[in-house]
Amino acid sequence: MDMEQVLQVFLAEARDLLEAMENGLLCLEATPDDEEAINAVFRAAHTIKGSAGLFGLDEIVAFTHVVENVLDRVRDREVTMDNDLAALLLRCRDHITRLLDMAEEGVRPDAETQAMGAELHAALQLYLAADAAPAGGVAVVAEPPLSQEPGAGGPVASDTWHISLRFGADVLRNGMDPLSFLRYLNHLGEVVYVTTLFDGLPPATQMEPESCYLGFEIELRSDADKESIANVFEFVQDDCLIRILPPHSRLGELIALLHELPESDHKVGELLVQSGALTRRELEQALALQQVSVGEQGARIGEILVEQGAVHHEVVNAALEKQRQGRDSKGRENCFIRIQADKLDQLINLVGELVTLGDGVNLHAQRLEDELLFESASVLTRLVSDIRDSALVLRMVPIGETFNRFRRVVRDVGQELQKDIALVINGAETELDKSVIEKIGDPLMHLLRNAMDHGIEAAEARRAQGKPGGGTVSLNAYHDSGSIVIEVADDGAGINTGRVRAKALERGLIQADQPLTQQEICNLVFEPGFSTAEQVTNLSGRGVGMDVVRRNIEALRGTVTMQSGEGAGTTARIRLPLTLAIIDAFQMGIGDSSYVVPLEAVVECVELDEPMRHEAHGNDYIQLRDDVLPLLRLRDIFAIRGKQPSLEYVVVVQFGNRRAGLVVDRLFGEFQAVIKPVAKLFGTLRGIGGTTILGSGEVALILDVAALVQRITVRDAAARAPVLAVQRAVSAG
Amino acid sequence: MGKTVMVVDDSTSLRQVVAIALRGAGYEVIEASDGKDALGKLNGSKIHLIISDVNMPNMDGITMVREVKKMASYKFTPIIMLTTEAEEGKKMAGKEAGAKAWIVKPFQPEQMLAAVAKLVLP
Amino acid sequence: MTIYTAAALKERMQSLFATCQGIDLDLAAVTEFDSAGLQLLLLAKREATDAGKELRLLNHSHAVLEVLELCNLAAYFGDPVVLTPSRETSRNIGS
Repeated sequence: MDMEQVLQVFLAEARDLLEAMENGLLCLEATPDDEEAINAVFRAAHTIKGSAGLFGLDEIVAFTHVVENVLDRVRDREVTMDNDLAALLLRCRDHITRLLDMAEEGVRPDAETQAMGAELHAALQLYLAADAAPAGGVAVVAEPPLSQEPGAGGPVASDTWHISLRFGADVLRNGMDPLSFLRYLNHLGEVVYVTTLFDGLPPATQMEPESCYLGFEIELRSDADKESIANVFEFVQDDCLIRILPPHSRLGELIALLHELPESDHKVGELLVQSGALTRRELEQALALQQVSVGEQGARIGEILVEQGAVHHEVVNAALEKQRQGRDSKGRENCFIRIQADKLDQLINLVGELVTLGDGVNLHAQRLEDELLFESASVLTRLVSDIRDSALVLRMVPIGETFNRFRRVVRDVGQELQKDIALVINGAETELDKSVIEKIGDPLMHLLRNAMDHGIEAAEARRAQGKPGGGTVSLNAYHDSGSIVIEVADDGAGINTGRVRAKALERGLIQADQPLTQQEICNLVFEPGFSTAEQVTNLSGRGVGMDVVRRNIEALRGTVTMQSGEGAGTTARIRLPLTLAIIDAFQMGIGDSSYVVPLEAVVECVELDEPMRHEAHGNDYIQLRDDVLPLLRLRDIFAIRGKQPSLEYVVVVQFGNRRAGLVVDRLFGEFQAVIKPVAKLFGTLRGIGGTTILGSGEVALILDVAALVQRITVRDAAARAPVLAVQRAVSAG
Repeated sequence: MGKTVMVVDDSTSLRQVVAIALRGAGYEVIEASDGKDALGKLNGSKIHLIISDVNMPNMDGITMVREVKKMASYKFTPIIMLTTEAEEGKKMAGKEAGAKAWIVKPFQPEQMLAAVAKLVLP
Repeated sequence: MTIYTAAALKERMQSLFATCQGIDLDLAAVTEFDSAGLQLLLLAKREATDAGKELRLLNHSHAVLEVLELCNLAAYFGDPVVLTPSRETSRNIGS
């Protein structure tokens, strides 16, 4: 097993927890007394600290420890949660993220990070120093209460815990070795003295070698609290007699009393009452016994009562804590397993091969005309396609997590812009292919920032229009006819189409007399180099334009459009395919090779007959109806040898608003293609988007339409370059 | 040679984290993915402690404990069950079967190590 | 000497006790020693004392010594404890 791999598991888990922490804190900003949120935040810090320790990430442990302490006090209602504290904790959460990143890169925190950590720690200390020392709390509980009246016995200089153990007969059979508990006590402190008791050993004939007859009296010097010491014997408390006496003066007397007791006379109840030391399991029993003996042992019982009170307090706390942890973890633990993405990819790959092979079997069955085989083959094909669908579903992840991540963005950006903006999320449960989710974050972020920056007006402007001062942005996701739609909507001013049109004209994106619908004008904002912001803020105006957003989305085989009514807000609508792993494809042939393009990119197919070819000869264009269509000869691009057939075909493909004609030898038609990542060999070959395997077992290349269309743009630019140079020379002169 | 602990859990990541923690503390670790797998791996070599989940495919933890208790070479091996607080019934059933120790999920590695160390030091 | 072997060992020790006056137990080969083993030694010592016989423990292995020290019982058995070179070796290998 690889430590590095487990570290990756931890890092992924920690990131999830940090996200939960962030969501919890944002929730607390709105409702500071949300107990569930407080617990979630505490648990996140707690778990990260615990696991980080396992990986030796001491900086994370040390930093998170203080955060956890503060959160613990919040939980105990010793510190009140408010906006300031939530904001501080958010910064702490960011700091932990930074530490995690550094841990992942394997670098030590730099001076700046350390300074940040120290600053945050100092801020956190204010919440810890408020009153009683946090560590003292436990110790105080463990100590006998101060109410012990003088006269019950003078102080004896005993500073050790006294532990009496009488092990049950079955302990050894249960796999528990009393000696191992003794050894473990050395972890809690120093075992000063041990007396081993074996008076219980019966005569040899009656002695059962697998039964336990041992007892111990132990003096332990330790700073641990009683609970910790009792916990050492947690696993044997059911059938063993365990008494733990605190290191205290008059209790020393009790010990003396206990020592006088004949070993054989041990009765649990008596011992409990006389010693005044209780473990949680024996509490009820002790309470019952206590009433019986109250009369004769007045003063001491008083002490016991108080002592019991202390134990009780611990018990309740511990029980509540465990209950809470159990409840919280249960739901998640049972519902999900975490698997590595590449394992899933491998499965999908295999299933893809199975699909292909199934097609092959089908083909052969048809050819052989064996009816039984054909029947089996078609059932097989159906099952395989079911498996393929189920396997693809495994890659589907709800988008909610991605959406939730933006809560923080909206909060921070809102503060920066001094706008009061709320985020509304709809359809968080909508599922998308994991690889799409990973790539959709950046475009969404950009659209969201754009909406907040340019969409939502300043509060005064809003009120002037009779709108509430606070703006709303919403993230919506839903399924729509085989695709997924994600919307980023705002209730802001809407797109000023007049201004957009003017700007587009100024930038030479449109002609002055070009007829454009409202919709088309809105979509102009996605054109390269477009920006209507009068004032470039440091948010949206950082050089990455909306055109990049569109390009990223188109790379996912998706589309993005803008819809707006003036004064009625703006909605950016992203439409994405359900999955990236399987596409409806169109297959073409050149020579002996097959090529595939996504069906949706295909506009039409036309024959390239001799007259047209003649026309296209020399220049790489043909006239298709009223338009000029640039041609790409795949034969040339992929350097395919072989004779050019007399009749060729042009497959017209479209990407964005550009079209190109792919010249091929043969057309094969549509089929479902399982996309396999492109092999390293082709990695440098532009224009290849992946590979797929055909029913015949043959490998076909999937063409990257975007890259091919881009190739034409480059070619055109190269062709025009000299002209531009001349013009420049002219204007310069 | 450190003491050998067998970790039985169908969750790979949990098993791995537990194994890493145990190895870090100086134990030898044998991993098994369910009760059946675990019994198959109890093949004569010395095992000082078994940590086992309750809910597992193929053979659950409690059935496994009962089987271990029948094996002459392993019947006195201490067994720690991993339970959640809600599985109080399971915990009792585990105890009845012979697994007297338990760790409540979710647990921190150090809690687990403490529980193990109480029974077997590395 | 562990719980796995305790029953068999007890039987052997009992038969030895029945026939012998003095018993020497060579503990050199004891690599594992748990509470069950300790109980057997305690039983043997007590039975021997009660019967007026002599029990001597010889060549304590590291495993045995560690337990006797832990339980503060070396004095009870009263046998001279010889620090054999194997103790250091076994400590290096063990724990």
